[in-house]
Amino acid sequence: MASSVERSFTAASTLDEAMAARRQGAAVLAGGTWMMRDPRRGIDLPEAVVALHRIPALSKVEIEPDHVVIGAAVTHAVLGRALYGAAGFEGVVAAAEGAANPGIRRVATVGGNLCALDFAAADLVPALLVCEATVELETVEGPKLLGISDFLKDRHTLLTDGIVTRIHLRRDLVASAHIRLPLRKAGDYPVAIVSLAMDKDKRCRIAVGSVEPVARRWTALEQAMRAGPASALDPERAAELALEHNDFQGRDGKEAEGWYRRQVLPPLVKRGVAALLKTGGLA
Amino acid sequence: MTVTFQLNGEDCRFHGDPMTPLVDILRQERFLTGTKAVCREGFCGACTVHVDDEAVPSCLKPIALVQGCAVTTIEGLSSGNHPLHPLQAAFEAADAVQCGMCFPGMVMSLSAFVRDNPHASRPEIKAAMVGNICRCTGYERIVDTVADCLDQARKAGQLVGGVHV
Amino acid sequence: MSELSATVMNLPRRDAQDKLRGRTKYTNDRIRPDMLHAVLLRSTVPAGRIRKLDVSAALRCPGVRAVATGADAPGLYGIGIADHPLLAIDTIRYHGEPIAVIAAETEKQARAALAAIVLEVEPLAPVFTMAEALQPAARLVHEGWRGYEVITEGGARAGNIAWEAKSSRGDVDAAFARPDIRIVESSFTVGRQSHVPFEPRVAIGSWEDGRAHIQTSTQVPWTVRNVTGRVMQLPPGRVRVTVPPVGGGFGLKFDASIEPITALLARMTGRTVVLENTRQEEMATCLCRENAEIRIRSAVTPEGYIAGREAVVLMDCGAYGGEQVFLTTMTAHTLGGNYKVGAMRLVSRAVYTNTPPNGAFRACNGVYNTFALERHTDEICDALGFDPMEFRKQNVLGDGDLGATGQVFEADVLGPMLDRMEALRASTGTSEAKADGRLYGIATTVGTWFVFVGPSAATVNLNADGSATLVTSGVEIGSGTMVQSLPQIVAGQLGLAPDQVIVREADTDAAGLDVGVGGGRTTVSIGAASIAACAEVREKLLRTAGEMLQTRPEDLVLRDGRVEITGRPGSGMSIPAVVAHAQATTGPITGSGAFTARNTPAMSGCAMGHFIDALDIPVFVVHEAEVAVDPDTGHVEVLAYRVVQDVGRALNPRAILGQIQGGVVQGLGYALHEEVTLTVDGRIAQDDFETYRLPLAQDVIPVAADLYEGAPSMGPLGTKGAGEVPILAVGAAIGCAVARAIGKPVQQLPLTPPRVLRLLHEREPPPEFPHIAPGWAANTLG
Repeated sequence: MASSVERSFTAASTLDEAMAARRQGAAVLAGGTWMMRDPRRGIDLPEAVVALHRIPALSKVEIEPDHVVIGAAVTHAVLGRALYGAAGFEGVVAAAEGAANPGIRRVATVGGNLCALDFAAADLVPALLVCEATVELETVEGPKLLGISDFLKDRHTLLTDGIVTRIHLRRDLVASAHIRLPLRKAGDYPVAIVSLAMDKDKRCRIAVGSVEPVARRWTALEQAMRAGPASALDPERAAELALEHNDFQGRDGKEAEGWYRRQVLPPLVKRGVAALLKTGGLA
Repeated sequence: MTVTFQLNGEDCRFHGDPMTPLVDILRQERFLTGTKAVCREGFCGACTVHVDDEAVPSCLKPIALVQGCAVTTIEGLSSGNHPLHPLQAAFEAADAVQCGMCFPGMVMSLSAFVRDNPHASRPEIKAAMVGNICRCTGYERIVDTVADCLDQARKAGQLVGGVHV
Repeated sequence: MSELSATVMNLPRRDAQDKLRGRTKYTNDRIRPDMLHAVLLRSTVPAGRIRKLDVSAALRCPGVRAVATGADAPGLYGIGIADHPLLAIDTIRYHGEPIAVIAAETEKQARAALAAIVLEVEPLAPVFTMAEALQPAARLVHEGWRGYEVITEGGARAGNIAWEAKSSRGDVDAAFARPDIRIVESSFTVGRQSHVPFEPRVAIGSWEDGRAHIQTSTQVPWTVRNVTGRVMQLPPGRVRVTVPPVGGGFGLKFDASIEPITALLARMTGRTVVLENTRQEEMATCLCRENAEIRIRSAVTPEGYIAGREAVVLMDCGAYGGEQVFLTTMTAHTLGGNYKVGAMRLVSRAVYTNTPPNGAFRACNGVYNTFALERHTDEICDALGFDPMEFRKQNVLGDGDLGATGQVFEADVLGPMLDRMEALRASTGTSEAKADGRLYGIATTVGTWFVFVGPSAATVNLNADGSATLVTSGVEIGSGTMVQSLPQIVAGQLGLAPDQVIVREADTDAAGLDVGVGGGRTTVSIGAASIAACAEVREKLLRTAGEMLQTRPEDLVLRDGRVEITGRPGSGMSIPAVVAHAQATTGPITGSGAFTARNTPAMSGCAMGHFIDALDIPVFVVHEAEVAVDPDTGHVEVLAYRVVQDVGRALNPRAILGQIQGGVVQGLGYALHEEVTLTVDGRIAQDDFETYRLPLAQDVIPVAADLYEGAPSMGPLGTKGAGEVPILAVGAAIGCAVARAIGKPVQQLPLTPPRVLRLLHEREPPPEFPHIAPGWAANTLG
């Protein structure tokens, strides 16, 4: 069982300690649910590992009147419980409470979800996209704050030496929703995800996960929906616009072909808008 | 590296690869073979154990993350000749078991669930079982049994804290 | 019958407590630190010729104790034809085929040494599909097929056709030529299904006193014994097989696979050797339920009489013949079952391809043939304007009707079962309201299966404490037969309580021949052998007691652990007292019993290449499903599921209901979720639990079931096997219900959401079989 090369493991208790290990090449271990499957993917586990779970600041959710700060080591289960009932965060809660399965949700973390580069079906990513979350990283040049879209665009580079530490959310949403479509009722990774949020100006934000390799905002649809009056927010109309502005290239996978992921987006938008209206008290 | 933790109430020390999955240590070094390594990817739940009272898959838990934690396996849930956990007794009485390989994990997941959710509905019980696959039984008898168990606990007045050992 | 009332009960399982406490030691829980670990070098190409295989460097690797190749186990094995080497010899026929095996002190050392094996393979053009395999110029998967030993005579074989079975009854050409008939033709294709037992295939082999001892997770200890003897070229009697509790089988463990390798390595090293498939290996080389292609044509009169029927069924056996060779037989009884037909001819062919071999899976060939037959029946009803339920009531097999091989069915069973389904539906109500705006469909389907009878032996030893020990080769795979029905049967025969019956786990050194746990046969065949053994015990017991009580044995009964004088409860004496007397006078009381198939006759000349000509114990089911289909996503939700099952006699109704719930849910997996596809290099793509989707708790519903008792059965106390058949008609019921819901023909399983959406949008190409000739006879080897 003992490795022939002694693997280095650092359970960092401060961020500085974690960064020091990182500089020496240690990979960041969060809950382990993604990394521990590397051998099955034919990838050796890293020779040096740094774990963040002992850094207190990274394991808490701070809820302030105008914003929320989520530590990167917070698990899905803790996040779902912490934000349960907080107006505007219904989508994040649904993502945290719907991902994978209950056992995984008690272990897998927010940071892990954002940093697993090959995990196209991560639930929290589109949910945080519509919150317009800010991602805080610790880098060799010090802390860095980035909008989540920019983070996702550059995360390959950013994560070569940085560590995601916190996620910052403004409390400026009226309602949000997270519609995930697994092939069973639950328990598998969704083949398509539509996350939606409505801000105080009743403007809709929409993000799509799992359809393309990396989740992204559905800008074309958001703009089309803004062209109409906010009071006209209607599930059927939204689905029609989604069909018209479907600019996604579905990725082919063992579980579903690209066309299917793309095809189901309009009905998911319809469900999402209906959920949004219901939560926002507008239905 | 060396990792120390509590295993079924006793001190336990492991020396070796810190990324070794907990399930391998349980089965191969401690011969606690009640914890089953079936899919090794967190989907089947057969390796579920309690780490600091939370039901988690032990296949994806690097041993280093267990440092200082209390681990309870199926063998620790009702040890020796002690009575079965009420859920185990109920599964036995209901003839719920078939091949039986999923049950240790099923019991570990559901025993934590009934402890934390004494008022759970049938759909909530099912939602809690999503990470525990059973290939034999078709689930429904397991769900019925958990629901009955909660009912009985409520009737017996154990309203707070759910079902305990 | 008093023994019946003493036998029927909802006996709980004796193995449940240990299983719930995690104490049960399945084979893969018996790995000890002093065992050697074996790992397989598996092929990474689907077809090739081995040009060089040099293991000498691997032998020098740290911890390595032995390396074996095909040269160390030259014998071939198989069912019907011996075509399968233990480890590839010269030719590689599928991706994942074992080529060599390394035994080392640790699994890690064994894996590390794999890299030191020098293997050079000349790739060959793979034959992946049955369409390719049946091309006239197709490369032969087995170039030397003619030279193989034929174990069972009678099947036609040629080239890539491993086996062909035919049945033909009546003048089919004349039926199709009738001026008054309409011809309906349907085509179906189904994928593979992986068993996914929680315990993978695993074996522990040792070499003791010049003999092999294999502990293994198998359904067929005697097959493992015989195959091990065959490949190691040993008399099979030099192999002992014992079977700990099995963590699920479902048919996967109905063939020998890796077990003989452990015996081979144990002989080479003198050590105990364990070999366990990883989950990925298990799924990549699973002996799946085969993919199949079916074309069926029927000639039906305006009155709804099925004058003629003909069909071609192609079954992919993968790289080796395996169970599919036998299963070609079943088409006559599954696709040829259910209905009265004037004249009928059916051919089924097991076809070699360069894909992982397929095998047996619960209700094997019946699951997809029932899907095909029931969907075809609905297409007949659609085409001719019949009500599907009325059509079935009119045409299901009844007393005196002929099966495809000319067997005469006894009693009306399916007809009354359809009535019982209507009554069940009336009592549960229907669930259309739950469709909630989605597309709704309901379908009632029927199915015909059988109990696979065959040789079984049993010994019963009556002990001085009044308990009885039952010694058989039966295996507890989870269905409960060894812990419920057999102790119930023996207890009922001997006037004991079931907990006084000790059931010995399978050991080929201790018990007589048995063909294994499968085909719903354990309760019937081992049960019948046990009753025969009990008869001998009873006779000795009553004779001894008669002498002691000065009473004629025929005036004595066994009841509540006593030998009593008939009609005088509490009289006589306790069984231990009688046993003690017998031990001192005539010796210990033991009995042995045996059972085998009756070999119900077929009509002369009707069955060709069949392993059985007729069904000794037919079993029938009626399944009804209600579904809602989401037209936006293609998701199918099962709203309600009802079963009426012919059980002959229910010895443990609660246990049977558990089998029905579990079997139906496995069928829902087959019908809706579980998909196996092959990659471009011939691998099974879904080799983990992320991509192979088993039904989860939220995907299933409680099955409403009614047990139909009283149909004729040669089984003990009128029983029929009840564990195999619940999966039989699930694909059929779901397929028919979805077709009704979406208003489009369903010709393929599984009905995954993407497939249903394609069907709804008419983007799903219908199956086309250019490799099936239009004329039936052209699809046979003559």
